[in-house]
Amino acid sequence: KMAAGSSGGPGAPCRHHAQLGACESRAKYREGWRPRAVKVYTINLESRYVLIQGVPALGVMKELVEQFALYGAIEEYHALDEYPAEQFTEVYLIKFKKLQCARVAKKKMDERSFFGSLLHVCYAPEFETVQETREKLQDRRKYIAKATNQRDCFVLKKVEGPKKTASENSEHDCPWSTSGSSIVSNWDPSCFTSSPGVSHNTAYLSGNQNQSPLTSSHYDNNCAEISGYFGQNTSLTPSVHPGGHTPPASLMQQRMVPACNGIDRFMPRTTHLQERKRKREEGNKFSLIGTTEDNTEVVIGPQLPEIPKVDMDDESLNTSATLIRNKLKEVADSVSTSVEKPESSSAKPLVKQRRRI
Amino acid sequence: MELGRLEYLQALVTEFQVTDSTGNKRRCSVALTMSSVSSHSRPFSLAEAKEQVLANLANFAYDPSNYEYLRQLQVLDLFLDMLTEDNETLVEFAMGGLCNLCLDKTNKEYILEANGVEPIINCLSSSNEETVVSAVTTLMFLTTPRSRAQTTALPVVECMLRFSLSANTRLSNLASIFLQDYCSPLQVEEARNLSKHTAVGIPLPKD
Repeated sequence: KMAAGSSGGPGAPCRHHAQLGACESRAKYREGWRPRAVKVYTINLESRYVLIQGVPALGVMKELVEQFALYGAIEEYHALDEYPAEQFTEVYLIKFKKLQCARVAKKKMDERSFFGSLLHVCYAPEFETVQETREKLQDRRKYIAKATNQRDCFVLKKVEGPKKTASENSEHDCPWSTSGSSIVSNWDPSCFTSSPGVSHNTAYLSGNQNQSPLTSSHYDNNCAEISGYFGQNTSLTPSVHPGGHTPPASLMQQRMVPACNGIDRFMPRTTHLQERKRKREEGNKFSLIGTTEDNTEVVIGPQLPEIPKVDMDDESLNTSATLIRNKLKEVADSVSTSVEKPESSSAKPLVKQRRRI
Repeated sequence: MELGRLEYLQALVTEFQVTDSTGNKRRCSVALTMSSVSSHSRPFSLAEAKEQVLANLANFAYDPSNYEYLRQLQVLDLFLDMLTEDNETLVEFAMGGLCNLCLDKTNKEYILEANGVEPIINCLSSSNEETVVSAVTTLMFLTTPRSRAQTTALPVVECMLRFSLSANTRLSNLASIFLQDYCSPLQVEEARNLSKHTAVGIPLPKD
C-alpha cells in the first residue's frame, strides 16, 4: 500500500496497480456484459506509462512491444525485474508517446491472452517525471477548454523556460494573473476553433452538439472500473457500435477510443455517418439541378441522381466502394440493355436501382 | 437532448435522493428498491450501492459533454456533500468526480461559489491516497486570481511542502507542481519557515 511514508519508489507495487475483484452487486440496469470492479478514473490515474503484468517468461519482449506498438508510438520500454511477479511471468513497463494511445492500449490489451498467459495492464503514473505530470495536467486543461469552448480565466505561470531566479519572480506579485507579462499560455489559439488536426480521445465536439447521442468516455474496461459512459471506436479495428438512443444497459459498454492518429480529428461514428450522409445529400443536390461535364449537352429538367459517390475517408474503404460502385454500374448497364422490350403494357421507364452499400 | 442518457443519469441520481414526507428532496439517501437490484449470489450493502452510483457519476464527470446534465441533476452539490461522509470510499469517489469536472469554467465557478474549497482542503488530510491526490489536483484546477488566496493559503502550502518530499511519486510530483506553478516563492518561503517552528498543519496521509 503506497502512502506518503512508504519507501517504495516507482517500480514498487502500488495500490492502483492492484486488480480489484469484480463487483457482484451492481444493479441490473447498470450491468454491462463484463464483470467490472468499482473504480473512478481521474487524470491523475491515467498516464502514458503502462505497466504490464503476467507476461509469460518466454523471452517474448519483442512480440509484446510489437503488439502494444499497434496502438501508438512507443517511446520507451523495458522489463521491471524488481517488480513482484507471479511465477513464470514477467512485468514490463511501456511508455507511449501519447496518453490516448496508452488509453487504447490498456483497454485493448488488459485481460488479453498473450502466449497463453493473461495480461494485466494498468497505468503507471508514478513513473512520470514532474514535467511529464505537469504536461499531462496542461493537456487536460487544454482539452476541457476546447471541448467546452471556454477560455480559462486562469493561466499558468511560464513553465517551459528554465526555472526563474528569485529576483525575476519577485517582479510580479501575481505572475499568474491574466495581466502578468510573464504568463505564457500553453494554449494553441487554434484550440478554440473546430479545426481538424486536434486529436484527443474524447473528441465529442462540444456540449452544444445535441445531435450525436454518444458521449465518449475515457476510462477503460474491466479490471476495475465502472463504465460511466459510452464511447466510440474508430481505432484500428473499426467495429460496429450501436448508435442512436442506447438503452441504459448498453451505456455500460466498454469505452471505445479513437485511433492514435494524431492527425485525424476524432469523430463519433454516428457523426461520421451523418457527415457522409450530408455529403451524399449535398452531392445529390447538385446532381439534381446539376451540370454535366460535357457543357455542349443541353440539360432539360433535373438529372437522375447518380449513385452517390461516397467518400469513406479511408483509402481501402474507398477502393472497395469504388469497386462496388463500378460493379453496380456494370450490372445496371447490362440490365438496361437486356430489357429493351417493355415488360408490361404500362411500360414504366426503367428506374436505376439504388443499392445501399 | 439525448433522452436515453439523461434518463440514465437521472436514474443514478435518484438512487441518491429521496423525497421526504414534506415533499422536500433530501440528498444522500439511497432510494433503492429491490427491483432495481440484480439478483446476485452474495448480499450487498446500501453503502456498496451508493459507492457504485457515485463512481458511475464520477466517471461521467470526466466527459465534458455530460456537464450540462450533471449540473441539471445537481451532481456537483452531491459530490461536495459526499466529501464530509464517514465512508472513505464515498469521499474518494466524490473527490475524483470533482477533480474530473472542475476544469470547466461553469463548474469551477459553481464550486467556488458553493464554498467548495474548504472541504477539498480538508481532504488533504485523508488517509486515502486517491482522495489526497485528487484534492491536490482539484485545488490546482480551482486556483484563479480570485480564489488563490484560499487555495494557496499558508496551511495548504505547508502541506504541499511536506507532500513534495513524499516517497509517493504521484503525490510528490503534484505537490511540486503546486508549489512551482501556483505559489509564489514568498509563499513557499513562508511555509518553510512555519514548518520549522511548529508542528501545526495538515497531517500526511497515513501509511
